[in-house]
Amino acid sequence: MIRTPSRPVRVGVALVGVAGALSLAGCGTAADTGSAQTGAGTADTSSGSSSSGGYADGTYTAEGSYATPESVETVTVTLTIADDIVTDVEVTGDPQARESEQYQSQFIGGISDEVVGKSLDDVSVSRVSGSSLTSGGFMQALELIKSEAAA
Amino acid sequence: MRHEARANGEPAGGWRFEATGTQWMIDTHEPLTDGERAAVRALIEDFDREWSRFREDSTVSALASGGSRALPPDAEVMFAVYDDLGAATDGAVNPLVGVSLEALGYDASYSLRPSDPVSAPRDWRRVISTGDGALTVSLPALIDVGAIGKGRLVDLVLEYLEDAERASLTVDAGGDVRCSGSRERIGLEHPYDSTRIIGVVDLEDAALCASATNRRAWGDGLHHVLDARTGVPVRTIAATWAVAPTAMLADAAATALFFDGGAELAYRWGVEWVRMTTTGRVEWSPGFGTERCRAELFT
Repeated sequence: MIRTPSRPVRVGVALVGVAGALSLAGCGTAADTGSAQTGAGTADTSSGSSSSGGYADGTYTAEGSYATPESVETVTVTLTIADDIVTDVEVTGDPQARESEQYQSQFIGGISDEVVGKSLDDVSVSRVSGSSLTSGGFMQALELIKSEAAA
Repeated sequence: MRHEARANGEPAGGWRFEATGTQWMIDTHEPLTDGERAAVRALIEDFDREWSRFREDSTVSALASGGSRALPPDAEVMFAVYDDLGAATDGAVNPLVGVSLEALGYDASYSLRPSDPVSAPRDWRRVISTGDGALTVSLPALIDVGAIGKGRLVDLVLEYLEDAERASLTVDAGGDVRCSGSRERIGLEHPYDSTRIIGVVDLEDAALCASATNRRAWGDGLHHVLDARTGVPVRTIAATWAVAPTAMLADAAATALFFDGGAELAYRWGVEWVRMTTTGRVEWSPGFGTERCRAELFT
């Protein structure tokens, strides 16, 4: 049975308008520095090096990204600053949200949690396609590794 | 198993041979002449000598320490596909992933002894250039066109044999299949049980390519589908199948579908597909199982 994925699994990824991107400490990618803000104030992070602070009031938005084994995930962070105090933080775009966003997209036609398959003996096919046959060299080396590991 | 599966009627013109580390099958109702067989062999040999990083005398092996060689005829068309693959997967698919595969032990001598993962040079277009009739690699880097090379070669063989205006022709390189004037009913091998299939695709004048992480695997979580950004094998997707007009595009899509962005790229290319995650879940494209791509899944 084929079912289409249930559509309303929406996890909010608020698409914040980002005029540029500020490098988020610790995210490790070479994001552009530059102004990225809505509201008043300038996004001049370098002025924050003194302990007295000195951030202009306003709402700042930046994107950061980090690598997972399968993807590079992007998060969007929005900070609201008033009198050098962060009054609000919003983070959107965690990995789960990204997955959900993808699954409800137009690019996937259906999902099944259970595909039991059928025995090749029970289905008439002219060919089979899957993992391609591997070369003799690869399989020989693999056998050697296994025997050495077992020794 | 593969041979049992197709025991029901091999065309008289069938030809089987080993090449490029896999089993090739060319089926046609008009048997290949000796000259055609020799030409197909030469075509495969030429491609292998350009692109195989498993042979010392190949172009890519010669370029591993940097330098220039005469531009292989397939270089630009394949690198153009890599441009799309890289853009769609945010750099996960990259033709310089050879260094990452070697680091994990999937090297020319099949040492299969993993060391720490190594990411591929991210901006490969700054390393590889194709101007002035030359393929130039500006620093030591190992080209690996594993994401699309076999598909490209299937296309080359099929298109060469098509010139003889055969009524039907199927070229199958280890399960990467393209049909011209022929129909094939192709089982999708279960990645965790090769005696079972999870569905069938009725292929007609199109190509089907598959990629799976189970068979070319040599240790705990070690297999040949790597994320070039990290040099680490993928863990979410276990197997992919893609149907496209050419085997190169099907092969490319089958690789992209291991990564975020792959489904969107397939949509843009008009490629239909199925994939299974390592948890056993199966996903498929909107057109899979429709008139666009006649197929069935055994859910």
